[in-house]
Amino acid sequence: MTHARLSTLVAAAFIGLPLTASAQQPAAPQPEVGPKVGEMAPDFEFTGITRYGKLANSQKLSDLRGQTVVLAFFPKARTRG
Amino acid sequence: MEAYRDQYATLFNNGRGVVVLGVSVDPDSTLINWFREIETPIMVMGDTDAKVSRLYQAYNETNKLDSRHLYVIDKTGKVTYKTLPFRVMAQDAYTELEAEIDKLNPPKAPPGGAP
Repeated sequence: MTHARLSTLVAAAFIGLPLTASAQQPAAPQPEVGPKVGEMAPDFEFTGITRYGKLANSQKLSDLRGQTVVLAFFPKARTRG
Repeated sequence: MEAYRDQYATLFNNGRGVVVLGVSVDPDSTLINWFREIETPIMVMGDTDAKVSRLYQAYNETNKLDSRHLYVIDKTGKVTYKTLPFRVMAQDAYTELEAEIDKLNPPKAPPGGAP
């Protein structure tokens, strides 16, 4: 093995050492955002708006039990999607 | 919301047993005008104080807007599916959502069964 080839291997070993060490450290678990799957959905009260206008009465999310509810947060009216 | 409207029949079983509730921090007047224009069958709520958005951790405190978080809640009130964010421009996101809705509301077989 030439001196240059040996130097390259030694350098690669040094470069690789910290990478290997950091790869062995377990990643810190990220806290889950929002209610988890399997949990009860947090209840809240709201007054719905439809294409016909604002509904007369407020209701709770829990009033919708017996139906599937899709809760879709979005940033702003008239945005794509 | 237009994408939900356009796929309402297939995605949400045409509203049979499914309620879609959009949430944003827009004032009611903005949402009323917008929904009148786009004529969507879904429902929306103005969450101007971000109370609901914070409850679900969908509110971005930096830009003061909601992120596109989507939850499916079953008939008992339990969360069965969530996607953060919901990728509105990706068709597979809708396919996955449709599968979840169908799982909770299996499409009824036509009378007399399959031909």
